[in-house]
Amino acid sequence: MAAAVACRQKGIEDILLIERGAYLGGILNQCIHDGFGLEKFHASLTGPEYAQRYIEQVIEKDIPFLLNSTVLNLTPQKEVIVINDKGLHHYKAKTIILAMGCRERTRGAIGIPGARPSGIYTAGVAQELINLKNYMIGKKVVILGSGDIGLIMARRLILEGAEVLMVAEKLPYSSGLPRNINQCLYDFDIPLLLSHTAVDIKGNGRLSGVTIAQLGKRGGVIPGTKRRIACDTLLLSVGLIPENELSRQAGIILDPVTGGPQVDERGQTSIPGIFACGNVLQVHDIVDNVSLEAEYIVEGVVEYLEGRLTKEREIKVELGEGLRYVVPQRLISRKDTIFSFRVNQPGQHKVLLFEEGRRLIKKKSLRRVNPAEMVRVKLSSLELEGIKRLKVRLV
Amino acid sequence: MHREFICIVCPNSCHISVEYEGTNIKDIKGDQCPKGRDYVKNEITNPLRVFTGSVLVENGDFPLVSVKTSSPIPKQYLKKVGEITRQMKVEAPVELGQIVARNLLNKKIDLIATRKIKKINKKNSLLS
Repeated sequence: MAAAVACRQKGIEDILLIERGAYLGGILNQCIHDGFGLEKFHASLTGPEYAQRYIEQVIEKDIPFLLNSTVLNLTPQKEVIVINDKGLHHYKAKTIILAMGCRERTRGAIGIPGARPSGIYTAGVAQELINLKNYMIGKKVVILGSGDIGLIMARRLILEGAEVLMVAEKLPYSSGLPRNINQCLYDFDIPLLLSHTAVDIKGNGRLSGVTIAQLGKRGGVIPGTKRRIACDTLLLSVGLIPENELSRQAGIILDPVTGGPQVDERGQTSIPGIFACGNVLQVHDIVDNVSLEAEYIVEGVVEYLEGRLTKEREIKVELGEGLRYVVPQRLISRKDTIFSFRVNQPGQHKVLLFEEGRRLIKKKSLRRVNPAEMVRVKLSSLELEGIKRLKVRLV
Repeated sequence: MHREFICIVCPNSCHISVEYEGTNIKDIKGDQCPKGRDYVKNEITNPLRVFTGSVLVENGDFPLVSVKTSSPIPKQYLKKVGEITRQMKVEAPVELGQIVARNLLNKKIDLIATRKIKKINKKNSLLS
């Protein structure tokens, strides 16, 4: 919606927004907690309120949208096949913005051994069942993984009358935002067990217990630390994966680390005229950044439509130590560019360096870094002028 | 007394280090904006949180309407407000911002709807 609204503001007339769900706003509708919109709207909004701000703009700007409509195919020629209750539709676009969001990693993806009883949910599915569909999912809950949705659901489950026994995190640090650990776990005395994971699941029909064990420095189970926790529900909050089935089908090159398309500084994928923004490009921790990213890439969309987005150069952004990934992965023009990063591990008093060989282009001091928090840094066209190579690293 | 806080006001999650006596802040470090100081002040006097949750709706296009308290409430009331919202029921339609409950626990706690719910025939529910 943010991209569509920004396109309209830039004077693009012929827009179509295609939504698979029954309503606009997607996952925001089930995120009924507050804390959204602090940067974009200078207010602490709930998910539905944040979505509503955009729904109103979509309606006010008369942007056509399809609901309950699934895109079956996307071609490099920018043809889109859509199916809904009215039938099969074929669209030919001049440009396409991918904004499909992400999916949750499931039990299968992390390979926990043991029985396969009912009572095991991903945190987002639990959130949908409790907040939108009015189903309570269990009474005695263990949460595996400390992603933000898991933390938010820990608090939600307590307020809905369930007991949350613990959050177990495989890594020695949490993968959620510190503020969420504070207000969702500590406020309710829920223990966070770092370097712990589930090694067995028991239950015949319904889940009856989970075996939790402590992990050593190399990730192996420390002998003698296994313990059985009786519970009827296990929530998984073990990561998000950009939803790129359609991008793959179209032949768009993906980044194996982000799981999203490789893009240039305008969010353009390997297929000219197809752009990506939001969680389909890289998983964000803050929705405001999703909206800002959408607005940012629309500048490139307009340039493309006007034939001004030309390839003036091709510079691969090289990744040095301390960083897990960087977006964009390549530069093709000479524009002000916002770079997004995630760091490898938590740290204090770090410096982010942008270098061309031995020449320092820009440095930015970061008081505290955390893999849970995306870092965004803007470089001006002037700073990027005339460079032949670009490497970023964290020291 | 010395205590470390993680500010929850915004995603910056400032780590704030405070030296205080009773409710009197003597030294504060790590707060990147004035809201951090206010947050710490509240935490050591009367910690406040916005309650968010959901309430059953009759004849709505969704079975639940999401709600929040109109302002932050003392932390110790969160669970009690949760118990109340689990018993409540409201009738569709509901407007965004509409007050759905007043003066809970006799503490001037109001709940407001955070989404719009249309009145609809059960058969046409979006989530049937």
